[in-house]
Amino acid sequence: MSELSATSAPPRSATQIGIALLGLALSLLMMWGATGISSEAGYAGVGPNFLPWVVAVFLAACSAWLLWESLTGGYRNLPEASGAEHADWHAFAWVSAGVLANAALITTAGFILSCALCFVLAVRGLRISQGDAAGNLLQTLKDFVLGFLIAAPVFWLFTLFLAINLPNLTGTPWL
Amino acid sequence: MLDTWNNLLAGFVTAGTPINLMWAFVGCALGTAIGVLPGIGPAVTVAMLLPITAQVEPTASMIFFAGIYYGAMYGGSTTSILLNTPGETGTMVTALEGFKMAKNGRAGSALATAAIGSFVAGTLATILVTLFAPMVAEFAVKLGPPEYFCMMLLAFITVSAVLGQSTVRGLTALFIGLALGLIGMDQISGQVRYTAGIPEFMDGIETVLIAVGLFAVSEVMYNALYEGKGSADMNRLTRVQMTPSEWRRSWPAWLRGTAIGFPFGTIPAGGSEIPTFLSYATEKKLSKHQEEFGTTGAIEGVAGPEAANNAAVTATLVPLLTLGIPTSVTAAILLSALQNYGIQAGPQLFQTSSGLVWALIASLYIGNVMLLVLNLPLVGLWVKLLKIPKPQLYAGILIFATVGVYGMRQSSFDLFIMYGFGLLGTLMRRYDFPVAPVIVGMILGPLAEAQMRNALSIGEGHWSVFWDRPMSFTLLAVVLICLVLPPVWSAVQKKRASN
Repeated sequence: MSELSATSAPPRSATQIGIALLGLALSLLMMWGATGISSEAGYAGVGPNFLPWVVAVFLAACSAWLLWESLTGGYRNLPEASGAEHADWHAFAWVSAGVLANAALITTAGFILSCALCFVLAVRGLRISQGDAAGNLLQTLKDFVLGFLIAAPVFWLFTLFLAINLPNLTGTPWL
Repeated sequence: MLDTWNNLLAGFVTAGTPINLMWAFVGCALGTAIGVLPGIGPAVTVAMLLPITAQVEPTASMIFFAGIYYGAMYGGSTTSILLNTPGETGTMVTALEGFKMAKNGRAGSALATAAIGSFVAGTLATILVTLFAPMVAEFAVKLGPPEYFCMMLLAFITVSAVLGQSTVRGLTALFIGLALGLIGMDQISGQVRYTAGIPEFMDGIETVLIAVGLFAVSEVMYNALYEGKGSADMNRLTRVQMTPSEWRRSWPAWLRGTAIGFPFGTIPAGGSEIPTFLSYATEKKLSKHQEEFGTTGAIEGVAGPEAANNAAVTATLVPLLTLGIPTSVTAAILLSALQNYGIQAGPQLFQTSSGLVWALIASLYIGNVMLLVLNLPLVGLWVKLLKIPKPQLYAGILIFATVGVYGMRQSSFDLFIMYGFGLLGTLMRRYDFPVAPVIVGMILGPLAEAQMRNALSIGEGHWSVFWDRPMSFTLLAVVLICLVLPPVWSAVQKKRASN
């Protein structure tokens, strides 16, 4: 048992070190950015660059602390993360594709179609993550119809009832 | 006192118009639904609906949002009892006894005591809000920027350092939130900070973007990555009613739960986790049916925490409305909804927007009655929601996420950022970084900065302004205690354990 956890520890702590380094990089970036912010203080004695420096310094301190923790046996009091030990990147790729395709297409394809596509891709990914079949052409078509049936009323509710602009394909508030 | 009464009556008149009743009802129903459904909570739902602030008038939308907020607490208990996977963090404790009761064929009693207890606690807490909020507001008018700054500091520390497993991870999350809050134009000088020349960043990053990314998108991602294989068995629903002996055991627990929950909601102690656990511990200690706890399920263990939960949720409105300080994530998002209208939450709110405040409070009374009806006779309807297969449910959440984020600013650029925050949220969840400090930090950060600089202006640039005034000195002392006590306490415990 202890052997098992010892072998599975390295990749996990590598990510922990990575997170700490990311925090450090972010804080350095913030410090670099803070040098370009005016220190014009007025009556207050501190200007718009004050809080950026404070946040950057404290973030750096926290990240350094995390780095130290990750190098000396890992983050402290870390509860067992819920779910599987290994990530299902295949499923994740489909979900990501859905969200990103939606972001890329929404202005040209319109809200409804773009969201229906996002739904199809994400459902596929989530189904794979459950260990189910990803689905054939017929299933994909069914998913698309379902996605359409969810997205369309949402779109109409927002555009017709609440008068909030969402992108459309046909130049009408219907599609 | 008479003033309060008149104001409340006027509030009922506003809240009782058909259109506002409709908003309250839709809010309560939607709140119950998202409370029942896993993967989506009240904070992110309100965030997704923030775009409506562009069109709907403030009173109606606040009634709507508040309905979602406490509706979710009613709905969350249903999932806890039937599925043992709490719909909301506040109903985590309900799952302890509630699920055991349901397993032993008493799901109906557990659901009944949860719903009626929520109603009792919600109504009592609303009465307390009605009585105390104007008093607090009157007192708060006298507070200056130094006191406000110290109070916000206290909110930051309690939400990040006191709760959770690790102070350093909580603080890291807080500073990330504060950093996000810095992006855009500085409130006082108009100086532009950290926009990297991207025009979309000029007005800051939208709250909805961060909340939806960190909560909704990351939930879907986390599920695809790690939780696909998990499955839960559902308990059978039985008739939702209580026997006379169950009534007798429930009502003292409801009252105790309310008494424990309300004070915790008013202080920035990070929402309803602490009071629900406290209430559970109290009931366990006082119960005459010790043998039922953890075995067949004790009804007090459901009644108390559920009441505490609802009382705490209702009580968060006191600091939110009177001080402009959110003590939970959802309250933080309600604050940002008020900001969208250009309404400054704080003691002046009771004067400048008294109509809105009292209509909101009146709608809490109405909403609690609606929720009792929605959750007692109609509970079977909501249970059907649990039959939605997970892939379709989670993919559907992405569609709602899109409408919230895109609807806010009509920018597809925001959708890419949302993806980025989804990744961040997934990483944070995997490595146990709390998400609440990010949201509270980014919404409250700019306000705290403005208070700090105003305070320093008053003190003519001297930092001593923060400890020369008795009230702000006291608050600073409490902040220090909150920072120092938990690590010391755990060190003492550890030592005691090793001895």
